[in-house]
Amino acid sequence: MAGDLIEIVGLVKRYGAVAALDGVSINVRQGEFLALLGPSGCGKTTLLRSIAGFVEPTEGQVRIGGKVINDVPPHERPVNTVFQNYALFPHMTVADNVAFGPRRKGTPKAEVAKQVADVLAMVGMDGYGERYPRQLSGGQQQRIALARAIVNQPQVLLLDEPLGALDLKLRKRMQVELKRLHGQLGITFIYVTHDQEEALAMADRIAVMNQGKIAQIGTGQDIYRAPNSRYVADFIGEANLIECTVKNGRLDLGGVTLPYDVAGAGARATLMIRPEDIHLGAPPSDGAPVVLKATVRDKVFLGSAWRVYAALPSVQEIAAHAASGDAVDHVAKGGAIELWWPRDRGRVLAQ
Amino acid sequence: MRINPWSAVLLLGVPVAFLIIFFIVPFGTVAVTSFRMPDGGWSAANYEKIATDAYYWGALYLTFKIALWVTLIVLLVGYPLAYTITYNVRNPLLRRFIYIVIVTPLFTSSIVRAFGWLVLLGRKGMVNETLMSLELIDKPLQILFTEGGIVIGMAYIMLPFMVLTVASILQNINTSLLEAARDLGAHPVVAFLKVTFPLSLPGVIAGSLIVFTLSVSAYVTPSILSGGKKTVMSMLIYQQYAATLNFPFGATLAVALLVSTLLLIAGYLLVIERHAKG
Repeated sequence: MAGDLIEIVGLVKRYGAVAALDGVSINVRQGEFLALLGPSGCGKTTLLRSIAGFVEPTEGQVRIGGKVINDVPPHERPVNTVFQNYALFPHMTVADNVAFGPRRKGTPKAEVAKQVADVLAMVGMDGYGERYPRQLSGGQQQRIALARAIVNQPQVLLLDEPLGALDLKLRKRMQVELKRLHGQLGITFIYVTHDQEEALAMADRIAVMNQGKIAQIGTGQDIYRAPNSRYVADFIGEANLIECTVKNGRLDLGGVTLPYDVAGAGARATLMIRPEDIHLGAPPSDGAPVVLKATVRDKVFLGSAWRVYAALPSVQEIAAHAASGDAVDHVAKGGAIELWWPRDRGRVLAQ
Repeated sequence: MRINPWSAVLLLGVPVAFLIIFFIVPFGTVAVTSFRMPDGGWSAANYEKIATDAYYWGALYLTFKIALWVTLIVLLVGYPLAYTITYNVRNPLLRRFIYIVIVTPLFTSSIVRAFGWLVLLGRKGMVNETLMSLELIDKPLQILFTEGGIVIGMAYIMLPFMVLTVASILQNINTSLLEAARDLGAHPVVAFLKVTFPLSLPGVIAGSLIVFTLSVSAYVTPSILSGGKKTVMSMLIYQQYAATLNFPFGATLAVALLVSTLLLIAGYLLVIERHAKG
């Protein structure tokens, strides 16, 4: 769409015979928080680095503000990066690290000092200016790396797994802070992560990547509720992927016909249902739920809920995430149960 | 980690014993000898002789002058070479090949290499012949048997020490630091001056110390390439021991060279430390 801040068109990056990026096209809106999500080797970091200018694409274009920047060297691009290992200059103090960008622009000394003080306050690190990076904890280094990037007021902030090295608790806190900072600054964020929870928690939109391609792009809810492939369904959240055959244009699971039209889908299809959408016990009479009989294989107590593993007529296993309550509390291992889910919560995925 | 006291004794003891046997004792002997007089008495007269005779000051000055030039030239040639090998040679096989080419001369006798330079730098040598045929000069340059000739020959021998020392430091600089500098708006040249070079200083310091001390004590190369026309300290010491057989005076020269070298290095390190703090 015209008017988007970043337009990436048909981007290909080949290393020998291997394509790290295999025709990626994506538009990012001004002020958006976009997550690039995928396992290692999916091309997300290569995509980020081609926006930063460290990877020269084999084919395709990177445009920022309508201008093709393929040939613009990294130091002239209106983007800044928060590196995965922070990449703080070890021989400089925190203040000198943060002042590195403004000084390159020839900002007057007094102005640089003010900018550094402001941005350090913004990331909650005021008073740390005279320290050296090695004297800081991982979380503090992370904040300095962030400050060093945003002090330049880039049009786009690129973040390469910035929280990857932090422990879980700190990571959760930094997620909230980053999200808040994003709102405050109004800068476009492109955030690389392999952690789907992190992507869901922070991003306006998520681009799920696989083997150098974008498998699906959309809001977290879109992708979670309506994944377009087995790969995406499996990568985002937990999913039951039930292999079915197709009979007379309908899904068939071990002789039980399921109410999903799959005309033209071939002989086999996969039905996806999230564990939390599966309920145990008697189905409601309205809303045409899908009901299956199953045998309980295992039951695991999770605190707020139970995880029930049940065998379906087709011998496949299905996991259900059931809130504690009478129905599930009395289910015994080996017992027969009835499962149901609202019809619209099941999704038929292409093979 | 806890270390068994016996293994600690062994770990520390072996190098300490080595140092005592092969350095402290011989050097102590040299130091003691330097105070010995031909009549069997003891005196500091040898030191007085060195301190008051301009000839020895001249030799000392020439020694350090040549060593400084060698260090400077080796740094100016070796640093870019180390940088290129580290950052621009992507192919690991090619990189290994270049390392081998750099290290191979170390396996050759320095006598052979010095004679090689005699052939190259002589009046009818390849350097002069080439310059003449290009009509850049009309009569052969006198390179051999000058300070310049000694510096050239020694710089060539010292180069591997600088390249290997600097390259090993450069290799350990995280490339993401350079990317960060570029990302923050630094032109490649600025990124080098502000990030790569400061971070490689330990290699530069170590390399220049190694080259300087080796150059100060070098004997074979300067004595062959000087043709007897220039005299550095190592040649004087050798003369006293091997020709004049004045062991006490040779010892005095050796002690004087060692002490003045140590003073220079201490001064150098002091300046660096001041600079690093300031």
